[in-house]
Amino acid sequence: MSLEPLAPGRLSGRRKRLLLILLQVAIGLLVLGVIALLLTNLQVNLLRRGLGLSFDWLGEPARFPLSRGLLPYRTEDSYAWAFVVGLVNSLQVVVVGLVLATILGVVGGAANFSSNWLLRQLASLYVAVARNVPPLLHLLFWYFVVFLGLPAARSGVGAVAGLLRLPVSVEFVALLIGLTVYTGAYISEVVRGGINSVPRGQWEAARSLGFGEGRTLRLIILPQALRAILPGLNSQYINLAKNSTLAIAVGYSDLFSIVNTTFNQTGRSIEAFALVVLVFVAVDLLISGVMNILNRLVLRHG
Amino acid sequence: MAESPRSGPRSRQLLLRIRRGLFASPLDTGITMVLAVLCGGGLWSFLHWVFLQADWAVVVENIRLYIHGRLPVDQVWRSWSWLGLLGTLCLVTLMPAGMLPRPVLRLLPLLWILILPIGLLLLASGLGLEPVKSRFWGGLQLSLLLTLGTILMALPLGILLALARRSSLPLLRWLTTGYIEITRGMPLIAVLFFGQLMIPLFLPEGWTLNRVLRAVLSLGFFVAAYMAEDVRGGLQAIPRTQLEAARSLGLSPLQTIILVELPQALRTALPSLANQCVASLQSTSLLAYLGLIELLGISRSILGNPDYLGRHLEVYIWLALLYWLVCILMTSLARRVERSLNVTGHH
Repeated sequence: MSLEPLAPGRLSGRRKRLLLILLQVAIGLLVLGVIALLLTNLQVNLLRRGLGLSFDWLGEPARFPLSRGLLPYRTEDSYAWAFVVGLVNSLQVVVVGLVLATILGVVGGAANFSSNWLLRQLASLYVAVARNVPPLLHLLFWYFVVFLGLPAARSGVGAVAGLLRLPVSVEFVALLIGLTVYTGAYISEVVRGGINSVPRGQWEAARSLGFGEGRTLRLIILPQALRAILPGLNSQYINLAKNSTLAIAVGYSDLFSIVNTTFNQTGRSIEAFALVVLVFVAVDLLISGVMNILNRLVLRHG
Repeated sequence: MAESPRSGPRSRQLLLRIRRGLFASPLDTGITMVLAVLCGGGLWSFLHWVFLQADWAVVVENIRLYIHGRLPVDQVWRSWSWLGLLGTLCLVTLMPAGMLPRPVLRLLPLLWILILPIGLLLLASGLGLEPVKSRFWGGLQLSLLLTLGTILMALPLGILLALARRSSLPLLRWLTTGYIEITRGMPLIAVLFFGQLMIPLFLPEGWTLNRVLRAVLSLGFFVAAYMAEDVRGGLQAIPRTQLEAARSLGLSPLQTIILVELPQALRTALPSLANQCVASLQSTSLLAYLGLIELLGISRSILGNPDYLGRHLEVYIWLALLYWLVCILMTSLARRVERSLNVTGHH
């Protein structure tokens, strides 16, 4: 593929435009050709396996069991309903995770600016450790070591679930804590960067007005840092949503693990993939949309 | 504190600094006390566990598995020689620039590209050796091979994507923007999962790719989208005057890209590109759920052995340590490259 878009400068304007159009037509044809070739291969391969592309199977009963979630589900329910249940399970962990990771991240990021030496060191130790360990290992640690290894932690989750009258499973809590700790480390770096972007004079002015450390941070620094923090938060939120698919490692029935099971039963990889792409593009757009509105509000009032 | 810590003898300065850093106010003292008790207690019980309660047999007895996977014992030397080469290359790269003769310095990038095919040749026959089936590849060695393969594929692809996204051709711009944005929105495990399943569906009849290559392809396409954005950031940071200067020197657009834009853009993007490389290493751990026995995969099968029932924490700490060490190594390599680029930048 030619990546050299500009025609030599010596050509006249009209010939240059014509050349550019021809170049684009060539690129378009090339891309179409590659796609056509891939689709032909796909058709041949699918025919050989006796599978055509269709979405009729969505109405058939799913027959696999799921762990208890917010929505009712029985094994006679259709694949389509199983996907809805999975989507709600995913959204549940993502939304709660966003809130918790933000709290942890803001506390962790702000701790870098404390006058307390010990607190500062702990904050940077947390970021260094949490970010250099793969997210999967975080989840495995919380699930296998903490919740399956310590009976006290397990019964604690049971007690909280009973108290809230919510179907909170050990898998859900392990996934939630793992995602929160991992994403919280990244968010605290975003927050630290944001606070750093506020001129030092603001701290000094607040101190000379008699503000304490905590009030300075809450009332003066964080509101100004928000402009720099929000764009970074947006990508961390999307990362958290994407990482929620690691649920398969701890056996939580999120959307992706249900798609995975569905594929194992039906062999419908293309359709399942299309579904995952669609859902995640929608979730990303949703998060970005909400964050953009927030961003506009902050810019207007800040 | 009215007194400046600079006045007075040294011990007094230290005392003042401690007082200001830990016990400035009653609240501060409280926080320090609580944190100190928590840290002390945590550290104490951790050390107690590490030295008295933990059973490290699960790590010690399986070192060979963690490093080489299920490679037959008589073939382990192949894995060692590749790891040795890789280690030597790392050491040479990390050496201070003054200690290396110029020709070696010039060769380094080429050696880094060559190390991957050498590793593949050593494992998958080539060199007249008996081939080792890809399902025997595993452990740390496979993780490193996957990471290197991903980086070597994603970096050039990412640069091309970034250039295409800034091209003056609308069609090219739309296509690459669509690809980059959709890919960046997808969860990696889904990309890897469907990469394993769907790549065979798109290949002509009779063609096959082993699962390691499929994994590298899917990871490479995924990481390239992220690297493209980093490179684009670098390209955007180049002052316009640079392009004008290049044009007034009579450089063609292609020459401008290769000689003026890319070197500067890559230098700016280097820290974020290095982060992507570290992330690629961490991402290879997801392949444990797709049938590859890389570092995490082999650990899962070791943990499945009834002899090591419930030894999760020992294994995870060992894994975290290994991943962390490789991450640190990659970061310091990146810093080294950054420094050497800055040095040449002054000429």
